[in-house]
Amino acid sequence: MSDQSSGLSKAQEIYSNRSRRARELKAEGRKLIGYPCVYVPVEMLTALDLIPYRACGDIREPVTEADRALPGSFCAVMRSCLDCALKGKNDFLDGMVAIHSSDPQEKTARVWESYTDHPYFHFIDMPVTVRPEAVEYFTSQLDDFRKTLEAFAGRELSADRLKQAIDYHNRQRGLVRQLYDLTKTSPPAISGTEILQVVKAVMGLPVAEGNDLLTEVIGEARDRTDRPEKKPARLLLWGSTLDDADVMQVFEAKANVVMDDSCGGVRAYRADVKLTADPLEDLARYYLNEITCARTFRQASPGETSKAYTKDLQSRFGYLDDIIREWNINGAIMLLVRYCDPFAFEMPALKDYFESLGLPSTYIEYDYTTGALAPLRTRVEAFLETIA
Amino acid sequence: MTAQDKEKRAINRLESMRPLRAKVNETYLKSVEAIQSGKPAVWGMLNFYYGDPILKAMDIEVVYPENYGAIAAAMGVAQQYLDRADAEGFPTHLCGYSLTTLGYASRMMKELGGEIPPEAPLGGMPKPLFLMSSAAICDARYKWFQALGRYMDAPVWTLEAPTPGVKEFFMEGYYDAMVTLGVKHLRDFVAFVETMVGRKMDWDRLDRITNLMIEVNRVWHEVNELRKVKPCPMHSRDFWSAMPAALFLAGDLEDSLRLYQDMYREVKARVDSGIGAVPEEKYRLVFAELPPWHSLAFFDKLAERGWSFVVESFGYRPPIPIDPDVMAVSDPLERITRFSLQFFAGYYEDARQQKVLGGAFAYPYLKYAREWKCDGAMLHPLISCRSASTHLPYVADMLMEKLKVPSLSIEGDIVDLRLFNTEDALARAEPFEETMDHYRMVRQQEGLDW
Ligand code: SF4
Ligand code: SF4
Repeated sequence: MSDQSSGLSKAQEIYSNRSRRARELKAEGRKLIGYPCVYVPVEMLTALDLIPYRACGDIREPVTEADRALPGSFCAVMRSCLDCALKGKNDFLDGMVAIHSSDPQEKTARVWESYTDHPYFHFIDMPVTVRPEAVEYFTSQLDDFRKTLEAFAGRELSADRLKQAIDYHNRQRGLVRQLYDLTKTSPPAISGTEILQVVKAVMGLPVAEGNDLLTEVIGEARDRTDRPEKKPARLLLWGSTLDDADVMQVFEAKANVVMDDSCGGVRAYRADVKLTADPLEDLARYYLNEITCARTFRQASPGETSKAYTKDLQSRFGYLDDIIREWNINGAIMLLVRYCDPFAFEMPALKDYFESLGLPSTYIEYDYTTGALAPLRTRVEAFLETIA
Repeated sequence: MTAQDKEKRAINRLESMRPLRAKVNETYLKSVEAIQSGKPAVWGMLNFYYGDPILKAMDIEVVYPENYGAIAAAMGVAQQYLDRADAEGFPTHLCGYSLTTLGYASRMMKELGGEIPPEAPLGGMPKPLFLMSSAAICDARYKWFQALGRYMDAPVWTLEAPTPGVKEFFMEGYYDAMVTLGVKHLRDFVAFVETMVGRKMDWDRLDRITNLMIEVNRVWHEVNELRKVKPCPMHSRDFWSAMPAALFLAGDLEDSLRLYQDMYREVKARVDSGIGAVPEEKYRLVFAELPPWHSLAFFDKLAERGWSFVVESFGYRPPIPIDPDVMAVSDPLERITRFSLQFFAGYYEDARQQKVLGGAFAYPYLKYAREWKCDGAMLHPLISCRSASTHLPYVADMLMEKLKVPSLSIEGDIVDLRLFNTEDALARAEPFEETMDHYRMVRQQEGLDW
């Protein structure tokens, strides 16, 4: 990495070659642990001086190796993720942590574990409801994760270290939210594409380094004179995974994406972990309750014996209401990765919710390949015409 | 010779399967009658035993939209529901049964004010009192029932279903944490059901039903163990005919137990006298996933060539029996939990020993191939049931890598029944015999004993 670069240009460099910084860190004697999904409590890795590294797919890389074990009709993101891993693109990793956040995550984890030989591999099971017994079970899962991590790292994960790590990651969440605050203006001070690059870069760095980078980017963007161009549409993107700047640019060609509610955007940063006496349970509560991903089964009240659709929508999507108002959003795109069931089932309901707020929306599917970009562009342009 | 005679000759079906199958059909019809006469019904997902004994003890009729999806497809009415779901904005790559149900619910609730659609086969599915979904196996199982909230105000209970990693499962306290989750969760589920039906649980009844459920499955497991013998005394076709009584706890469980015991006796008698389900058994195969229901004659054609299907899909098989000591546990909810956990975990000790970390979806097939001495695997990926198809390439890879057992993959579907083409499938099956012969030699060279 060039020494001169800082802020946005540095983030963009890291984004374009994430493994380079990872290899540097490895050469410095640091240990890196991969994770494919934002439900993995990265705080626990940080607390043991292990660097959490979000293992991603690559839309430019045709899937070949993963074909050995996963069918074509399978979550396109996970197929690509596994393919990159099997091609040795993450060979600097000292281990992997997978989690049962969705069925494809679980199935891929099994294959990943049996086809690779990381010195460390752990699978965290995850309940789907937010009921008290589910939180208790998830806490016990995190406790088991703690035990295997301690054995791997050769030291104990004390509650104090964990609290400190949570604090660092909360700071990171706050910084990412500040980044998104910069899109509230018109034109935004930073583009959706730039934010995506920064977030993806940060997801491969030690937390303190990531926080420094975020601080630099925020400072730079606040003062910049070369703001992104103002476009007529201010879009909310909602979906499972969006982690490629080229895909984001398809949306930003004729619109400003001011909020990206995906796991390559704000999803992992929208709320803070609330610290109490038991940090492990705090993490369990946070990951189960606060990350608003379609995989979690939410209801107006857990165990309800009567149901009203409006309340149901509110419990599932209500957090978007403030976002839409505060960011002055005038269109929403529900971006679906092909064969991603948890998000696919949400489509008509979320559309109903947007309609209840008077927000035009559309649903677009893509298959996480470069071949998807052209049809995506056509669909986006068609939608933008309807809201122009 | 009539076609029927020919079928008889191709696969020697079990006599004891017939009363069991008749009982499943009769139970279904009785349930339809009860619902038609006004008894409330619950829509349920196949949940691998967590919720079913509780509903049974509360005398609640359950309809399974997954099964109903299959009926709608077979009766040719599914397409209009699929079209409807599409028009409502559900992505078409979703599970075909879910789309069928969503389209059905839309038609019933939005167009007919809650009346059962007149075209709905076999009495249709009435508006449910509540929905019992499950987190087991696939995301569709709970997201689909949640999505039904768009059409009906029926509350949903999602049954948790812990899914351990193979290594992790053996950590101290891991199993106990799963049991604690299960018991607390089911206790709250019972309270939910009591509120919904306005009646209290009869705990003695639940106790009896739980024990019967476990015993029925134990005997059913023993029947399948007998199929390890050469020649195999029972064909997969009998398995599929008999399985619903154990998997869905259809009808009176004491009757089921008696009928499975009869089946055990018949299969054992065949073993003792060396009678095979296929007269000249040349190839023994494992079948993965649901069979092509409307092309079952395909198996008779293969039986004529000496193919015997000796073991089948893990997802529909009885759990490996739990430790008999567990039967002494006084809380039926804990017994249910431990029994349900066996569905996955029953395979884990063995999987760990064999160092196969692929979890319960892939490992069982290695166990089957090894213990049932299979020459090949026939994989039947189902285009619109993702969960049924996901693990199959991995299964094929593992079977070849670890055991030198080849696989033949033939696509089908759960909704578009034309996708499975018997002629094409047969054309591919014939050359597969050479492959199976070849790998028989390879296994011998590698010191494998079949
Ligand atoms: S949530 Fe969707 S995109 Fe993400 S891993 Fe699961 S199926 Fe794939
Ligand atoms: S995907 Fe398959 S297993 Fe899942 S609900 Fe649909 S038919 Fe059932």
